[in-house]
Amino acid sequence: MNTFLARNRLILLAYAGMVVLLLVTAMFSPGFLSASNLRSTVVLAAFVGIVALGQTLVIIVGGIDLSIPWVLNSAAIVMALLCGSQDTPLVWVVPLVLAGGAAIGFVNGAGVAWFGVPPIIMTLATNVILQGLILVLTGGSPAPSVPDLIKFLSVGRIGPLPVIAFIWLALALIATLLLSKAAFGRHLYALGTSATVAEFSGVPTARTTIVTYVISGLTAALAGMLLTGYSGQAYLGMGDAYLFTSIAAVAIGGASILGGSGHYLGTVAGALVLTILTGLLPALNLSNGALLIVYGAVILITVSIGSEIFAGIGSRLRGKGGSLDG
Amino acid sequence: MDLVTVTGLSKRYGGIVALSDAEFTARAGEVHALLGENGAGKSTFIQILSGAVSHDDGTILIDGKNFRPANPDDARARGIAAVFQELSLIPDLTVEENIWFRHEPMTAIRTVDRAAMRRQTLELLARYAFPPLRPDQELRRLTLAERQIVEIAKGLAKAPRILILDEATSALPAREAGWLLKLTRQLAGEGKLVIFISHRMAEVRAIADRLTIFRNGRTVAAHEANAVSDGEIVAQMIGRNLDRLYPERVPSATDRVALKVDNIASGSRLQGVSFAMREGEVLGVGGLQGHGQRELFQALFGTAKASGRIELWGKPTVIGNPRAALIGRDGIALVPEDRRGQGLLLTKSVRENLTLAVIKRFSDRGFLNSRKEAALVKEMVDFLRIKAETPDQLAGTLSGGNQQKVIFGKMLLTEARVLLLYDPTRGVDVGTKGEIFQLMRDLAAKGYAILFHSSDMPELVHVADRVLVMRNGRIAATLDGERITEENILGAAMLEVEAA
Repeated sequence: MNTFLARNRLILLAYAGMVVLLLVTAMFSPGFLSASNLRSTVVLAAFVGIVALGQTLVIIVGGIDLSIPWVLNSAAIVMALLCGSQDTPLVWVVPLVLAGGAAIGFVNGAGVAWFGVPPIIMTLATNVILQGLILVLTGGSPAPSVPDLIKFLSVGRIGPLPVIAFIWLALALIATLLLSKAAFGRHLYALGTSATVAEFSGVPTARTTIVTYVISGLTAALAGMLLTGYSGQAYLGMGDAYLFTSIAAVAIGGASILGGSGHYLGTVAGALVLTILTGLLPALNLSNGALLIVYGAVILITVSIGSEIFAGIGSRLRGKGGSLDG
Repeated sequence: MDLVTVTGLSKRYGGIVALSDAEFTARAGEVHALLGENGAGKSTFIQILSGAVSHDDGTILIDGKNFRPANPDDARARGIAAVFQELSLIPDLTVEENIWFRHEPMTAIRTVDRAAMRRQTLELLARYAFPPLRPDQELRRLTLAERQIVEIAKGLAKAPRILILDEATSALPAREAGWLLKLTRQLAGEGKLVIFISHRMAEVRAIADRLTIFRNGRTVAAHEANAVSDGEIVAQMIGRNLDRLYPERVPSATDRVALKVDNIASGSRLQGVSFAMREGEVLGVGGLQGHGQRELFQALFGTAKASGRIELWGKPTVIGNPRAALIGRDGIALVPEDRRGQGLLLTKSVRENLTLAVIKRFSDRGFLNSRKEAALVKEMVDFLRIKAETPDQLAGTLSGGNQQKVIFGKMLLTEARVLLLYDPTRGVDVGTKGEIFQLMRDLAAKGYAILFHSSDMPELVHVADRVLVMRNGRIAATLDGERITEENILGAAMLEVEAA
């Protein structure tokens, strides 16, 4: 564990930043640390965190998933349209929607791994195609009601804790096992560090890439369904914000956007940081537009400080390597 | 008067002393060889001289005047150019654009004067009798050897008084290496100083007027080249007598065929090659570079599409990718040509690199067992004597020889008993070279079958049991026993019609 922490100073940094941000926010808006506010912060962070799980894996493998917004939108709309306010259809609708998310992930992964399409283009294209499909299918009208069970899962409580916190925790556990304790994780980091070296070492490069995008499709679809419980309806565009936040959460969490490093535990901190930030900014009494500008700038600065540190480590490494190379 | 005088030069990186009190003097008009094992401080020394890193202590005098470059441009202004092992070229630019990069000839309105650039390029290439290069070819289309030649042209384009060549011949095939050696003498004849780093004794012998030997960051000796023997040089480099670089060749081949290759062909470079390699045999692959050796190894490891039949231990096998090759005891493992690009994850630990190809060997029901992994890692670190502070040290911070050992370890852990070694000693210090040859013989004695390509002919002559000489994508000759000599290898590699 010691070496894990030594290797992942950026993750610690993300958590430290989160604590500082929490204290600063509490200073500006004293009600922020109330139980109900902390609870809603966790709920909102959970949506970001769940979407960003898939994004974390995709970024570690050296790609990026831009199809998240419309996978999320589609999942929300399809689920809400098929269920209305009924709980029972969820038995088959949830597996169906998850399968759909996985299928889109499969298309993304196959395009990248088998046909060599750059991840940006591949996922951007599926995003747009999905958008078109949903518009054709629904005519663009929102689905006004969602099942109670979904509402319970996203905003309900077990004791003092929100239900979704348990879902998030379970997913974080699975992601951590995948990354730290399974062959898949080793393959992922190797592939993201150097596809050639991974290939030469017998890593199943295509399979690993495809599975990674499939997981991203799954988590985006799951987040889409849960999000309808929070908003009480499903509408087009509800997933738009999650593209930027999912990538930012991964980057704040210490992953290199170039692949090969990072961990979901960092992304969890990233998701919390972003959500606290959205809570802090309104307390500053800024207009909506100014809010967005500050929000974007803060993320840019946080991430570039992170990558600055990363670059520092990298160049020290190269310097050292050079000296020993002889 | 001496052109370069260095006294008391020191450099540390954190707690690591790279150079300590180094001395060096060299005159204009000489080829001065710099010798030492990997980690001896040669690279640091030339990085300081070329302005890439700055020193902590000591003085450098050039023409008797103090010299302390802050960056490579300072060094360039004083007439110093360096050609490093790690190439500095840009794949998307053409040959000539690379040669003149950042120093392009300009027109009156500050645009690049392409006509002048072409003229100067052709003049440069002609003046130093460069091997054929097309100035307008994109760099990405060139082979590693051709890129190395462009790098040399780039160094010469700066019209330096001092040219530093850091293992420039290691990426070159025999003919081009010969050209480079002649070039160094031409430059010395023009009154320039050439500082020449090479691990190949024969080259140093052929061209150097004087030589300076580094060990552990210190200068241990400087000699007139003709006043010192090979044995003395090697002894001073490694600080002890290396009895022999090459281990005794005890034939260990059995009658059992490990790898049978039937008419394998790939692209235009590999035209149909058949041979059988036996259990316990070290089979050398020689010939001039670019005659299909690389494609042969790629085809056998599944990294290039190929036709033909392959049998492993008597069983027909299709190898479409490295996964199909790395199948455990009955598989094939490869130590690849490009250590940093194909062999190692430089930013990952020694441990992760060693076990990358054998994750199944330490998995319990899908979960990694770190105790089992540590045992595998320890086994290889001990067996190969890999010098790393801890298994968690990043592979990129190891010396070249130790990096190569990590790649060997990764492949040995797969337990494959057919090994493909493509130039495994390239850029490796002399001590580690000896260990690698000994390892090859030990493995052969245990029943491994080893296909071994080297760009350094004496290695084939001294280590291999048989040598296949390739020419134009085919096997031009098979040499064994007394017939394995440099003359016979070169003869078969170069002659279009083989003497009957």
